[in-house]
Amino acid sequence: MPAKNHKQWLANPQLELGEWVDSRVYSDPRIFEDELNNIFKRVWIPVCHESELLNPYDFRTISIAREPIIVCRGPDNEVRAFLNVCPHRGMIIERRPSGSFLEGQPSGNPKRMTCMFHAWQYDLKGNCVYISREKEGYQDRLCKENVGLRRLRCEVKFGGFVWVSLDDNPVPLEEWCGKPFECLRKSLEAEPLEVFHYHKAIIPTNYKLWHDTNSEFYHDFMHYHNRVTGFNDAYFARKNEALEHGHVVVGTFEVNYDKYEGFESRAALSFPHLPPNQWYMIDLFPGMNFNLRGSALRCDVVTPLAADKVMIEFRGLGLKRDTAEERQTRVDHHNSIWGPFGRNLHEDLLGVTGQGATMLPGSEPRRILHGRHENQTIHDENGMRHYYNEWGKWMNRLPSDPEQPYLAPLPAAAAE
Amino acid sequence: MTGNGADVANVVRDTIYRATLLLDDQQWEQWLDLCDDSFHYAIKSFSPEINRDMTYFQGSHKDLATMVKLLPKHNTDHSPLRRHATVYAVGVAEDGKTASAITSFVVYQNLLDGVNSHIDAGESRLFLVGRYLDTLRLEHDRARFIKREVRLDNRRLDKGSHWPI
Repeated sequence: MPAKNHKQWLANPQLELGEWVDSRVYSDPRIFEDELNNIFKRVWIPVCHESELLNPYDFRTISIAREPIIVCRGPDNEVRAFLNVCPHRGMIIERRPSGSFLEGQPSGNPKRMTCMFHAWQYDLKGNCVYISREKEGYQDRLCKENVGLRRLRCEVKFGGFVWVSLDDNPVPLEEWCGKPFECLRKSLEAEPLEVFHYHKAIIPTNYKLWHDTNSEFYHDFMHYHNRVTGFNDAYFARKNEALEHGHVVVGTFEVNYDKYEGFESRAALSFPHLPPNQWYMIDLFPGMNFNLRGSALRCDVVTPLAADKVMIEFRGLGLKRDTAEERQTRVDHHNSIWGPFGRNLHEDLLGVTGQGATMLPGSEPRRILHGRHENQTIHDENGMRHYYNEWGKWMNRLPSDPEQPYLAPLPAAAAE
Repeated sequence: MTGNGADVANVVRDTIYRATLLLDDQQWEQWLDLCDDSFHYAIKSFSPEINRDMTYFQGSHKDLATMVKLLPKHNTDHSPLRRHATVYAVGVAEDGKTASAITSFVVYQNLLDGVNSHIDAGESRLFLVGRYLDTLRLEHDRARFIKREVRLDNRRLDKGSHWPI
């Protein structure tokens, strides 16, 4: 068909329901607000790694769905999470991204979380242990035992990642994502891991477009590196496996890293139990990604900031026992394609930035195609179809017409 | 290299500034011509988030030569980068064979692609802030880079870059 007129352009594609989505799912601010409440406040998010909280009293601050959160390791070595909000007057308690409560603060004592504003202090279990001039101000009407922090569900699991949920009764974590982690559990849990890389990107695009990019490999045509190191029969046979709760696992194959000039095989530093140069990927609903390419693990976590704005945190991990030389090699392998100055990440971020430019709030709705069928192999778009079917259930919206309630797709279009 | 300490420091400064202009102009091979065969380049940053010193990129002279040769094979943000550098300190080793220098810089991205080039192209945005920590070999009347550590303050790097900084 030649280029289309406006009516033709807006018509539904000749595909089955579930094989395209309406671009308003990426651009409508009302839908975005629903996503924060219906999805992000109810699921498990891997907010950091236990190696970022190495010692008792170490802390990290993060946020989920605009709610500020503090994660800390107590003197009993337990990792706990709380809202980073003082119950007195709503001040954020800890302002730094990380640190240790072993040090005293201008307003408070060592080993306490102290709100600098009025010097209320909390222990590492979230109990309020000090209210300044408590009796003078509250007499017997309110006491520190009544004003603890808001505790959050928190678990350390699947290779030492710290998982937090704002929901007091989420699906149990093992039930939520144990199945997708089966392919990597032995590799990630054989011995302690350690974060060696952190950077973030704030990109003018919708968070789901980033997850889509991590879910579909058809875009490998954009990556010279992936074309020369990967495009062979084994690559095209990789399977996308759709799992419960909207998760997807991308099966492995052997990557020929040395086909890219200047790069090298990663076989000598494979993660435990991982055959040489294999590459597994786990895409977790609603926007987390675990990516193991032989010698280095990458984890992406999205924090949606607006319908057209997302923060992506990138972590790289190796084995805690690495020698300095081994660690540097893992770092180099990680950076070669995944670093902020690497070959692939820059290209991926250009891709989703370009999508964001065409799907701004208020932009004319259009159809975004997810209709490739290739026997659930690497260029099949069943991963995205599976994701948006799950998204529709959580949102009670039809991805292809988000003003309509959810309707299960026809079997042919659903994730197989 | 002959001359007094001030002359030597001027040669070092001049070499750093010439390298900055070549990087601005994406004259990668000419930039590498200012570097010794033993040159080592790294982009590093300290992350308070993970409480760790990080290497974002590193490579030898050969690695960099290969990388820049392959740049046309890759999709990239075409927005030029412009460095504003000031050499703050130059120190010459006692034996007069090497010098070290600390240069503060900011890198502006003059948008060409941006998000929507119709709107963004032509705008300059602050992209990076940091320091060059350089070591140069002094020989005859010139200085050649043997080591450059690009020390970034940024951990928020947005789209990142394919280019040496």
